[in-house]
Amino acid sequence: MFATVLIANRGEIALRVVRTCREMGIRTVVAHSTADRDSAAVRAADAAVQIGPAAPKGSYLSIPAVIEAARAAGAQAVHPGYGFLSEDADFAEVCAANDLVFIGPPPEVMARLGDKAAARREMASYGLPVLPGSAGTVNSLAEAAEVVDRIGYPVIIKAAAGGGGRGMSVVRSARELGRAYRATRAAAQAVFGDGRVYLERFCDQARHVEVQVLADRHGTVLHLGERDCSVQRRHQKLVEEAPAPNLPDALRAEMAAAAVAGARAAGYVGAGTFEFLVADDGFHFMEINCRIQVEHPVTEMVTGLDLVREQIRIAAGLPLKAGQHDVRPRGVALECRVNAEDPAREYAPAPGTLDEFVPPGGPFTRVDTHGYAGWRVTSDYDSLLAKVIVWAPDRLHAIARMRRALAEFRVAGRGVRTTIPALDRVLDEPDFIAGVHGTDLLSRMTQETP
Amino acid sequence: MSTVPPESSALLAEMCRHLSGLLAAGASRVTMAAGPVRLEVEGGGRPAAPAAVAPEPAAEPGLAVVAPLVGVFYRAPQPGAAPFVEVGDQVEPGQQVGIVEAMKLMNPVLAERAGRVTRIAADDGAPVEYEQPLLLLEPAGGEVG
Repeated sequence: MFATVLIANRGEIALRVVRTCREMGIRTVVAHSTADRDSAAVRAADAAVQIGPAAPKGSYLSIPAVIEAARAAGAQAVHPGYGFLSEDADFAEVCAANDLVFIGPPPEVMARLGDKAAARREMASYGLPVLPGSAGTVNSLAEAAEVVDRIGYPVIIKAAAGGGGRGMSVVRSARELGRAYRATRAAAQAVFGDGRVYLERFCDQARHVEVQVLADRHGTVLHLGERDCSVQRRHQKLVEEAPAPNLPDALRAEMAAAAVAGARAAGYVGAGTFEFLVADDGFHFMEINCRIQVEHPVTEMVTGLDLVREQIRIAAGLPLKAGQHDVRPRGVALECRVNAEDPAREYAPAPGTLDEFVPPGGPFTRVDTHGYAGWRVTSDYDSLLAKVIVWAPDRLHAIARMRRALAEFRVAGRGVRTTIPALDRVLDEPDFIAGVHGTDLLSRMTQETP
Repeated sequence: MSTVPPESSALLAEMCRHLSGLLAAGASRVTMAAGPVRLEVEGGGRPAAPAAVAPEPAAEPGLAVVAPLVGVFYRAPQPGAAPFVEVGDQVEPGQQVGIVEAMKLMNPVLAERAGRVTRIAADDGAPVEYEQPLLLLEPAGGEVG
């Protein structure tokens, strides 16, 4: 096992990784920017290295800075968390060239699956169902129009290098196609440095259901059940739960089997997530996330497995201890993302200093956060402030517990607003309570409440 | 150390690699022997990685020349050469005062303002963090701040 792990990330996930490492007897070193000098992760870690300025380009996204920090720290492995360099195959390669273990899939697997259009084609070749769409990336507006002629409106244009809900446009008519095509290409180029896009049929009332997999280097591939992430705003998840409610058991099993087959065929190693859309005509593969995900705690709560621990063990070359029959999800877990955003103002970022920050507690309530009273939430990074996760034997109990937990959560500070009021509304929504909601839930609610 | 037979040069290189690792880890006395090759190094213990130590606070803004990036600090253009600057030297804005090596790239460290070097704050060959003070300067003409 590694003696020292460098954590190349920030916020709640950096602290999350520090905690598991400590439980495993691994020394932690957090690489941080000047803005995160006093972060909870820096305080909790055994050591810290300041790697660059607040702007991520010079710090969290700087491969040389992270590698030098790992070398200075004497680390044997690097945990990239999510976002930043977590799905950067070049970074994983540079780690290997510097005798550092990248805690994630092999670089060549990441490079192949990180191209969303190529991953779609590859998974289709293994027999996974994919939504009708372009065979690969489309290189001109004319080509995009040809695809639409074949599959019909509405369509979604997605960045091949996309992720985190960015670089997507829904197009409902021929009138919008040209502008959306050009805008998505430009956004993809600006955000990901890669302007290639592809097209898929867009399903309005679909559900976003994803399957968590774990694969070791010894040929074992497990699924840990699925998560429903249908409550989204602009393709950003707000509420996640495990298991997915009202999913026929046969469909559940089929999706899990597809994810395991896909992971095995692709030579996947590590923790990964297969994202599917579930519509009336069945389920369709969307993409694979080659990293730990924000919503991983709901799977941890129902399976009792620590996913970060499994990631680290796999990266160290150890075989998975559990077999598929040992994984028995139990009860229901819900996660709500508390972001520093103002729901009353189109979810505009609302950063500021946290004068008061009292996370909830109580039975079966977990809060993954890096917030504390006095911490300044900056606009340099994403707005995730905390994840409130609850577990209960059944779904209605879990919803009640989440309502109670959110009501306890006290966050205050000049300029600070959170998504808690929006989350409360979701928890009161009849479709959500009934578990029959799709990805359009929040947009429908927003239209109803002026 | 005696002359090394040519066939042992690969072995020597391997031992040097191990040796540098041990020194980097903070060892102060190392003896290695293999066949005809024997290496003894005493002293030369390197400071612990900055990871274990909080960087010196840049309490004197404008007076410290700080690391422009994370890496390894070198005071001289190459091993054995004279340092770029010594305590007591007068430096001018834009003058190179050191190197920070990151991933085999040599990044010059430049003084932003004029002053006299009062202290070398980081050791030659030591890992340094972003914004860690490397040199302290007394501003030219007694200017403060």
